[in-house]
Parts: sequence; C-alpha cells; structure tokens
Amino acid sequence: MVTPARLRLAALAVLPLGVLLLAWLGLRYAPQSAPTPTALLADSVLRVGVDASFAPFARDVGGTLEGFDIDLAHALADKLGVRAQFVVISFDALYDAVVTDRVDIVISALVVNPARTREVRYTRPYFDNGMVLVSPAEQPIRETADLAGRTLAFEYGSEAETQARRWLRGIAEVVAMPYELPEYALDALRLGVAESAIVEHTTLRLYLRQHPTWQPAQLAVTKSEYAAAVRVDRLALWQAVQDALNALFDDGTIAALLKKWL
Amino acid sequence: MKMQTTRSLRFNRWHMLGWGLRLWLVWQVLQVLTPMSARAIISEQHTVDTQKPHVCVHTRLVDEVYETKIQRSLELVREMGATTIVEFFPWAYFEGQRGRYDWNRTDTILRHARSQGLRVIARMGFVPHWARENAPFSTSNTLAPTAYPDFARFVAAFAARYADTVYEVIIWNEPNLALEWGYQSVSPEDYAALLATVYPVVKAAAPNVQVLAGALAPTLEPEGSPHAMNDLHYLTRLYEAGAGAHFDVLAVHTYGFRQPALADPAPDVLNFRRVELLRAIMESYGDAHKRIAITEFGWNDNPRWLHGVRPAQRVQYTLEAFQWAEAHDWLDVACVWVFRTPAPAFAYPDNFTMVTTDFQLKPIYHALKAYARAHTPQESLWLPPPASD
Repeated sequence: MVTPARLRLAALAVLPLGVLLLAWLGLRYAPQSAPTPTALLADSVLRVGVDASFAPFARDVGGTLEGFDIDLAHALADKLGVRAQFVVISFDALYDAVVTDRVDIVISALVVNPARTREVRYTRPYFDNGMVLVSPAEQPIRETADLAGRTLAFEYGSEAETQARRWLRGIAEVVAMPYELPEYALDALRLGVAESAIVEHTTLRLYLRQHPTWQPAQLAVTKSEYAAAVRVDRLALWQAVQDALNALFDDGTIAALLKKWL
Repeated sequence: MKMQTTRSLRFNRWHMLGWGLRLWLVWQVLQVLTPMSARAIISEQHTVDTQKPHVCVHTRLVDEVYETKIQRSLELVREMGATTIVEFFPWAYFEGQRGRYDWNRTDTILRHARSQGLRVIARMGFVPHWARENAPFSTSNTLAPTAYPDFARFVAAFAARYADTVYEVIIWNEPNLALEWGYQSVSPEDYAALLATVYPVVKAAAPNVQVLAGALAPTLEPEGSPHAMNDLHYLTRLYEAGAGAHFDVLAVHTYGFRQPALADPAPDVLNFRRVELLRAIMESYGDAHKRIAITEFGWNDNPRWLHGVRPAQRVQYTLEAFQWAEAHDWLDVACVWVFRTPAPAFAYPDNFTMVTTDFQLKPIYHALKAYARAHTPQESLWLPPPASD
C-alpha cells in the first residue's frame, strides 16, 4: 500500500538526484563562448592549400602568388586576426592535404562536391562558374525557350556543347555554331555573326573586361559553385571562416575582389 | 462425443485449408504488385555498323552493380561504331578461394558483349588474397613467382570457358610501374618468367586465344627509379629475357598528354606516336610479323590537370590518332581510355570518359560515332574564328 507519506519520502530521496542530473546537463550543454580563431590555429597562422596553376584564381608569377583566391585568403585571415600562409599543392592533392592536416583550409576554386562532404565541410560558395547563355541586350534571351529559331555559338567539344545539344534536341530550329575556343563564340555574338552563345561564367567575365563597352544579356543556366573547404571535424574553425566570409560579403570585399580579378 | 470430435477435426482441417488458400492468394497478389527490379533482357543479336574496325574503347564494367547499366554501356559502344572493347577481369573477383571459380559476373558482361556483336579483349590481373599469403608485404598487384602457376591456371580456365567470345587476353597491366607490380622491384625478367609460365598453359587450354603482353605505361622514369622503368628500356630487356617466344601481340599504352596526335616521336618525349618506338624495338628483335594493339590511349580535357588539353583539341587529336592508326597495317585496334566509369571521381580522370556515369553522351562520343560510321566527313570540326574588329 503506497501511502502519501511514503510518496513524500520517495520524492525527498529522488529530489537531490534530480538536482544533480540537471546541474550536470546544464554544464554539459550550456552555451560556451566560441574559441577565438587565434586559439584554433597554431601560431596564429592560417595554412591555406592552393593550386597555383589556375588563373585568375591563383597563379605563381615569378615566385609570388596572385589571384582571386590569394586575395580572398588574405582577407579571410585579416578578418580572423591571423596570418595567411600558402602551401602550393597540385589540384589532385588538395583534399588529401586538408584531411591530413597539412593545411587548415583549401581556397582554390574548389567546386562543391557532395561526395567529399564526409571529409570536408564547405563554406558558403563565393563564386558560381556555371554556364551562362549570352544574348544581345536588345534581343535578350530571358528563358531557354527564347532560343527557338536562333543561332547558338559554343566551344566545340566542351560542356557548353553538351548543353547546346540538349537544346538542339528540345527547342525548335536552334542552329549550332561550334568554335575552337569559347572566346570565338563570344566574338561571334558580339560581332553579330551568332545570335546567342553559351560559355562559362569566368570566360564571360574575362571577355567583358577586354570589351568593356559591350553589355550583353546574361542568363545563368547551370551551377558550378566554388567554395573553401575545412576538415569536417574542425567545426569551430569552419564556423569562424564562415562568419568571416559572411562579413566579407557584407562589407563588399567579395564584390571588390570579383571586380579586380574577373 | 466422438462424432463431435471427428467433425471438429474435419472442420479444422477445412478451416486451415481455407486460410492457407487465402494466404496463397494474398501472396500472389503481392507478388504482382511488387515493382520488378530492372531486368536486362537480351532480345536480339546485333552487329556493329561501322566502317572503321580498328575503333575500340576500354570499358569499366566489372564494378558496375546493375546489369541494365552494363547492357546500356555496351549498346552505346555498339551504336558509336566501335567493334571492340578492352575489359578488366580481376582474378580475385572470380577465384576468391583457390580452385573455386565464380563466373557469374563475367558471364553477364560477356553475354551482353556477344549480344551487341562486340569483340572483347580481356585484361587479366588483380591477385586474390590466398595467392599472396606468403608475401611479407603485398597489394592486389603483388604476384610472387611461386604464384605464377596459379595465375596461369586461372587465365587458362578463363580462356577455355570463353573461347567462343574472347580471343585475346592481356597478361597483366603496366608491369613497368612499381604500383602495378605490387611494389616489388620492377623486373622485366620476372615478367618474362610470368609470360613463359602463362603462355603454354593458355595455349594448351584454348589454342586460338591470342596472348597479349606488355601494356607498358609510357614513362621517362630515370634508370634506377624505385617507381617505374622507362617503357622502351623495359621492352628491350623483356626481349633480352627471351619473352618474344611467349606472346602473340604486343599491347601498348600510348597517351598523347599535351601533344598533338601526329607530333613526332622521340625517346625523351611522351606522345601518341611513341608506339612507333616500341614497334622499332619489336622489329629489331625479329618480331615484325606480330601486330600491336593499342589497348589504352587518349587525351584529357580537364582544365585543372597539368597534362590536360582544350576540349576541341581532345576531340581533334583523338580523331587524328584513329586516322593515323588506319594507315598502319601493323596496328590491330586502338582503344580509347575510357568509355564510362561506374562512379565519377570528381577529378581529372572524369575527363577521360566519353559518356558520363549517368549516360550523358559527351561531344567526343558524337565525333567518334560520325567518324566510325563514315558519315560525310566534315571539312572542319569547327567554324573559323569570326573576323575580328
């Protein structure tokens, strides 16, 4: 027979245990202040893995590294209050370098790859090098269906041709105009030889730098996003880099770097 | 009481039978409702429609999980106009236990290849664990001389089983690389001994099967390197070791790297026509009567790879290589590395493929199809640059 007195007694016995449990949980899961970047990085140095053979993102000019990714790494390091130290690595070894802790981060025009997310954590993308459908400003292509009846210039043998072939099958009377180089496809459009062209975003931006008065219409048709990568278990570092990158977007640094290099 | 029990028993028997029948019917309905797994049905015997019998591709089918994808890959090979495939048949997959063969996977691949009318060159290698137990350090490419007879027995069993489909077997892959030789010291003499062991056993089991040797990696590795041996030096030493008597055709790997297909060969240069230097060695050792099969070649158009070329160059060089091969009667087939892979690498190796993992046809596929089918040849693959301003 359970009497009220016995219940009170049992409650009194359990109460201290409950208090102890709550206290432990509080300590275990209480929000803690994030470690500072300098505490996350040995000697306050951000070791940056980079493939220096991919202009305009990174290249080696007489022993000096330059490019969008180089400037981005410096800007990130500044935000973090540390110094960027570059480790030049061939593209195929970049992921191994960050996974084995040879570098803290890879900033090297890495295309976000879902298959790698067991090993690395990507930051937000900082550039999209997907395909862009380009057309004259006075006759802009606002959707791919507008291609009907137009000529389409592209780089022969490339991803752009693969995309163009899809449209050739699905959209009426698109006329293919293959060129050896993507710049020739843009020449064809600019000179009125072709009525549209498909190229990568980087190619288009670099071409427009050479022809600043030409302002064609642009329609992004595929995505190929570049992001930095940190080893998957270095969550605090990733968060610090992510915050710094957000700040660089907010204060206009990323836009300024894009304008400088692309 | 007794009558009641008997009736009850009889009732129970009919009762149970009724329920059994109901359950059986439910099971049958469920069977009908269950979606069928994709099945690869072979409906007819095809032939390859081609004008260029030397067009060949290296496939990667043995690791493909779905039979339908094996079938689709081979359909695309046939539709492109290639007559021949090179496919890897790893020993360890088929003889996991000594003397116990499991040919299911090979049967599947070769059944579909036969149905598409394709010729198959089988690349043999990849050592099962049991065959390298005594090695102090081993990889799947480590084959100790004591295991040569086991490997010979396997290749002979394979050749005999598929003698109506597979007419050529390649003995090992790139034995001049330490990686491919199981990190043992690279040794042409050991490879010659392997050929001497395998050749008579295969010939006894399947006399019509041709034994291909070599498949050397093109490399300029300096003398004494622990990583590899220069392919020209390796082939010379192979002949010096007497290997000429133990193969019928020389398999050659000859990548173009960044050079055009027709660039002149030289001993200190790696390019497509390096095959001519290997041919000269064969001729100098009295093997001019034997042919060469280029079992791997190609260009890569990854912009991040040191040895990559532009996409247009990749197509142009590949077509020129095939045209060059047409003009040399000592060449049998030329096989592009690689048709398609079961999974993407998300790195430069993806840019060797002609069809993506999800069966998107790349421009090079269309270009080779036009070449092999001998459609009206284009004067140029692309338009001239627009007149600049």
